[in-house]
Amino acid sequence: MFPDWMQGAPNQFDTVLVANRGEIAVRVLRAVKEAGLRAVAVYSEPDSESLHVEIADEAILLPEGPLSENYLNQEAIIEAAKSSGSDAIHPGYGFLSERADFARAVSANDIVWVGPEAESIEVMGDKISARSRMISSGVPVIPGDEVSIPEDGAHLGPLAVAAAKVGYPLLLKASAGGGGKGMRVVREPKMLRTEYEAAAREAAAAFGDGTVYVERLLTGARHVEIQVLADSNGNCIHLNERDCSLQRRHQKVIEEAPSPAVSSSVRESMGKAAVMAAKAVNYVGAGTVEFLLSSKGEFYFLEMNTRLQVEHPVTEMITGVDLVQKQLEIAAGLDMGISQEEVTISGHAIEARIYAEDATRGFLPAIGKLSTWIAPSGPGIRVDSGVRQGDEVTVNFDPMLAKLVVHAPTRKAAIRRLDSALSNFVALGVVTNISFLRNAASHSSFISGNVTTDLLDSSDISEFCDPEPPAQTLVSIAEAALRMGLDKAHTGISGNPVDEHTGHSGDPFRTLSRSYP
Amino acid sequence: MKWSIGDNPERFSVVMSNEGESMSLSSLSSDGNEVAAPKIQISSDDFPGRLVVVTEGTPKFAHVARVGDDWWIHLDGRAHLVRGHEKGSTKGQESGSGLTAPMPGTIQEVLVSEGQRVREGQTLMVMEAMKMEHKIQAPRGGEVSLIHFEEGDRVDMGSVLIELAD
Repeated sequence: MFPDWMQGAPNQFDTVLVANRGEIAVRVLRAVKEAGLRAVAVYSEPDSESLHVEIADEAILLPEGPLSENYLNQEAIIEAAKSSGSDAIHPGYGFLSERADFARAVSANDIVWVGPEAESIEVMGDKISARSRMISSGVPVIPGDEVSIPEDGAHLGPLAVAAAKVGYPLLLKASAGGGGKGMRVVREPKMLRTEYEAAAREAAAAFGDGTVYVERLLTGARHVEIQVLADSNGNCIHLNERDCSLQRRHQKVIEEAPSPAVSSSVRESMGKAAVMAAKAVNYVGAGTVEFLLSSKGEFYFLEMNTRLQVEHPVTEMITGVDLVQKQLEIAAGLDMGISQEEVTISGHAIEARIYAEDATRGFLPAIGKLSTWIAPSGPGIRVDSGVRQGDEVTVNFDPMLAKLVVHAPTRKAAIRRLDSALSNFVALGVVTNISFLRNAASHSSFISGNVTTDLLDSSDISEFCDPEPPAQTLVSIAEAALRMGLDKAHTGISGNPVDEHTGHSGDPFRTLSRSYP
Repeated sequence: MKWSIGDNPERFSVVMSNEGESMSLSSLSSDGNEVAAPKIQISSDDFPGRLVVVTEGTPKFAHVARVGDDWWIHLDGRAHLVRGHEKGSTKGQESGSGLTAPMPGTIQEVLVSEGQRVREGQTLMVMEAMKMEHKIQAPRGGEVSLIHFEEGDRVDMGSVLIELAD
């Protein structure tokens, strides 16, 4: 049975397997169900009790072992699709989302791939071929030389020559890297070998490919990216920019849309360049073209992410376009049904990534049991979460727990809403960066909209420190809680109060961990 | 039970008195010295794990969760960890001269050898955890007296990796 919206589509499907975990699996599985399709999850053994498994119509257990045996195991996932009757696969972000061979294997098995053609992934996935394709298509790229060196790294001669030409400080990147992994800053020539070896190892551990290349590091630049959407019928538009300048070690921390640094004329030319980039690789689906924006208003192509982006919700909030629903429509071969003129900007949206990490100890990933997890709610507040109360946070996976997204009429109002929502986000049992996010969002540079990508890494971390804790009150609370016997575990649904009037269990303002059977 | 804010060395002792349904702070000492106790009244709430805290007349909610002897407390928009210390317990004190693994992971590289002199801040080991590299650096200068792991070993959080002598 195909839902109404899919009637007459060239590539119809009724069951979508989501080849991912965590918050993005939850986000996509919900969208799939909402679209009237069957939602199939895959999971590895440690994820048996996860939220994404709970909300799916069907969940398939993948083989035990490292990621290569389960979430990165192409054969097992395609097998899971077949056994569950899935006729489409959505990869989410990360994992197999940018693997051209997987896109090809999915299509070869007559399963609809919710993403771009393998060729588009291939060209954009290799930073060197992406760069040359952009140059030939007239998209501006970062100035400087570049070199590709062999994986064994025994002789760094060509790298040293290229590095000297590019100039220091420079950025060493693994060609197959991303998300800050396999990317190192080299500030002086004598650090070249050490950082190269670290980058190669990280890239090999995370992606199984050790190729590295160099690029001049532009300091004081902003990271601005354009969301694009293209269908297989030749329509290609952009949905404005996102500003992801607040980063720590190349990991995005806070993202917003629109960018406080982008004028309408820069927006227009950057949008055009992004559409040009997408068309240059015959892009189909939702994608993101990342640019570095210099303080003088010049912008340079950084890379294209040929998938849904972590921070896609801020674009959804300001444009009102549901990107996952659009991905499904485009995968079915339908027109995207929206023209460039119809894309507008309404208000301002900010996303803060909630990580299990300790900002006071060098952002070390934290582990433990989320004994309390109460997400904020209210007008203009959206929480995309992959966890719920009682969940165990382990070192097995990425430490991102959830994304808090706020939307308000103006940037100032959005910042106030963000702080208020972060204050009401109760996460106990595991150290999170919530407090740090409040400090970062109230930093004068962020408030003035004057954030560059090196703000967090170049600032004294004490600028983002928590205020002095109210020690006397806290120890009194601990003593009282102990004496009152508040140590009974109250994890999970069972311990939540039942509302006398509605009979519902759990906080009525909390919908995240509620399951809809 | 003595209390500390996180790993802060200051130890508090708290005396609460019952006042009907709620409790009030009657006295407070810090590292054995009596300090002036602010007016704090705490009562339970219907919502599990939540307390109503009235400080100097202003009521606020506090969410609490116990993990072992420690209490996680969310108050005024921030989460805090209040550690409980039983009498005679040594928890939270420096574990001698050893350097411990900040999280579970794999030893990727050992950059020093036993008997080697190292300076403060020198990288001694590189470990990989959560797909990221972490450098284990010397907190002070000294001589490497013992190395407990070699490259490729898996380590648990808190394992002593390297010992330094003066």
